[in-house]
Amino acid sequence: MSENKQAILKRLEEIFQDTLAEGDYQFSMDSTSSDIEEWDSLSHIRLLTAIEAEFGIQFDISEIELLSSVSVIVDMIHNKTM
Amino acid sequence: MHELPWLLTPPSDFNDRCAALVDSGSLSSDIRALAGYSLTINQSNRLYRTIKKLGDVASGALLKELSGLKLGIVSNSTLDLLVPSMVTSAIRHGVFLDVVTADFDQVAQEAFDPNSMLNQAGLDIVLLALDYRAFPFAANTLATTVENLKASDALEYLNQVREAFNRNSGVNCIVQTMVPPPYSLMGNIDAQVDGLLRKEISDFNSALINIVHKDADILLDVAALASNVGVYNWFDERQWYLSRVPMANVFIPLYTDRIASILGAVRGKSKKCLVLDLDNTIWGGVIGDDGLEGILVGQGNPRGESYLALQQLALELKKHGVILAVCSKNDEQNARQPFREHPDMLLKEDDISVFVANWEDKASNIRYIAETLNIGLDSLVFVDDNAAEREIVRMRVPEVTVPELPKDAALYPRTLAAANYFEMISFTTEDSQRAGQYTQNAKRRELSQSSENIDDFLTSLDMEMTISPFDELGRKRIVQLINKTNQFNLTTQRYTETEVEQFEKSSDVFTMQIRLSDRFGDNGMISALICRQIDKQWEIDSWLMSCRVIKRRVEEAVCDELVQLALKHNIEKIKGVFIPSPKNSLVKTHYQQLGFELEATKGEAEIWVLGTSEYEMKKPPIKISR
Repeated sequence: MSENKQAILKRLEEIFQDTLAEGDYQFSMDSTSSDIEEWDSLSHIRLLTAIEAEFGIQFDISEIELLSSVSVIVDMIHNKTM
Repeated sequence: MHELPWLLTPPSDFNDRCAALVDSGSLSSDIRALAGYSLTINQSNRLYRTIKKLGDVASGALLKELSGLKLGIVSNSTLDLLVPSMVTSAIRHGVFLDVVTADFDQVAQEAFDPNSMLNQAGLDIVLLALDYRAFPFAANTLATTVENLKASDALEYLNQVREAFNRNSGVNCIVQTMVPPPYSLMGNIDAQVDGLLRKEISDFNSALINIVHKDADILLDVAALASNVGVYNWFDERQWYLSRVPMANVFIPLYTDRIASILGAVRGKSKKCLVLDLDNTIWGGVIGDDGLEGILVGQGNPRGESYLALQQLALELKKHGVILAVCSKNDEQNARQPFREHPDMLLKEDDISVFVANWEDKASNIRYIAETLNIGLDSLVFVDDNAAEREIVRMRVPEVTVPELPKDAALYPRTLAAANYFEMISFTTEDSQRAGQYTQNAKRRELSQSSENIDDFLTSLDMEMTISPFDELGRKRIVQLINKTNQFNLTTQRYTETEVEQFEKSSDVFTMQIRLSDRFGDNGMISALICRQIDKQWEIDSWLMSCRVIKRRVEEAVCDELVQLALKHNIEKIKGVFIPSPKNSLVKTHYQQLGFELEATKGEAEIWVLGTSEYEMKKPPIKISR
């Protein structure tokens, strides 16, 4: 993984910790919303808001539907901030 | 403004501080401290979850300091993101919320069914969080050919919903104006053509504002809020399509702050007094150094104009019931000089109810201001350009509200206004006169502190008392005094308006209504007496007095008058009855001090007696007119 994506993953992990309820979940590039119980539809909305604010980006409506796995999110952030 | 800049930004250890909240003596103040920051939705969510997890321990602690309120919410949108922020915002406004939300889009069902969850929940208030999409005319926002419902039909629907709640569970509603979506069809004519969304929403809002002004439901002007932040910003189409959230997430804290402010006002927690620093707050520069010619206030100078705008805001607030005070580190003469002599000053000395300018610390001075006005410290808002002064006051007098201010003084008015400290639900003429009455009271207290002894003080008040029998004109106020006075009340006898009317007309009941004014103003009716005649005796059935005029020797003047009239009517003995209550220990020695003697006790009641010919007139410094 590129250095940039590593950095993005780290910042993303902090956002997940801030947004989701405390839980015993594993967070990695392979995590998806089906793996993490606390990643429900409501926390998903707050996640998106926090990610957009943190990275200064905006997801459009077609992209939002795809954002249910960490690797896709990291890729998308990477593309938008290049 | 969406970051609520008058609040402090949360500390970097906010999450840790939430995690550290435990059942302890300081739990309530710890929670309240955390809720006092400008929280993101993630942060208010975290604080809310922690409070919920602590359960009864947290709610019990909070309800000792805050007022409870059970709020129901119906909406055509998703509320779950808003509820945590509503709860933490309400804590900041002095209210601990118990929120009951209806299922999504169940507005009519909850309202019209008397057995619905909301109607059975024992709510204090229902919030009708309905935006334009809740009404049938939103069916197709961008087409003009579809038959649209008119504003009047939408209003009729809303009225039926809120009347249903009023009827089914006696609860009042908070209703929202609609934010018009930022789509113009044909441009400026949208506001003028019937059936077009902009015109219909505008008509709806005007009609709603008028109706709600006249009844007991409460207006939440969301249209104004969205207009303030910009309707283009307010709506986020993606969030609506994705999850039915009615406004862009960034505005959730601002929206819930507005709701919390209303709920605080319902519970009487709105602030009452604005305390102003002077140098570089209401004028540019330092009066002690720059002098009258050097300070910047007023026309022709950009900085001067910006300070004047804050004075303008303060003056408008005062006209609508807010008390103004000054707290400045200055020689008093210097501080007063601009008020007296500067031609561009908007605020005059008269506008300031308590004027404190000295070299003492501001925390002590602010306490003095609260004591002089006889209001709680938690009703004060302190505005000072100096961040260090703000922080000291926050630390030393944590009950006082101290907004953060932006660096640019030109932005003070909008920041102070956005904080909405003085939320009012209704406005009466008494509100517009309030500042004046507080000024009068403050002057009385200041005089009492500066008098050599109590008699000098009383004499200097130039008190005048008017005594007359009960009459129709005074009846309502008499009934109010009889039923609301608890402390200076010898027998706590309560009478209805009908019974009081009978006293007026009865030939063997002798009554007195007493008004008091002094050099600072009219206190209105402050005491009442009811005596029953039995043979050659008068028995005092009721003697009550407003606490406002205690320690003015009013009761001595009343007793002098009572005895004089008794002598005129050939009354030989006056009997005073004292019935102790949990609240009237103040008057335990009332009759003794007037020279009565204890004749008998009947259970808990004491019967005191006075021979009218033996009475020594007390002659306090009060002029009597009849």
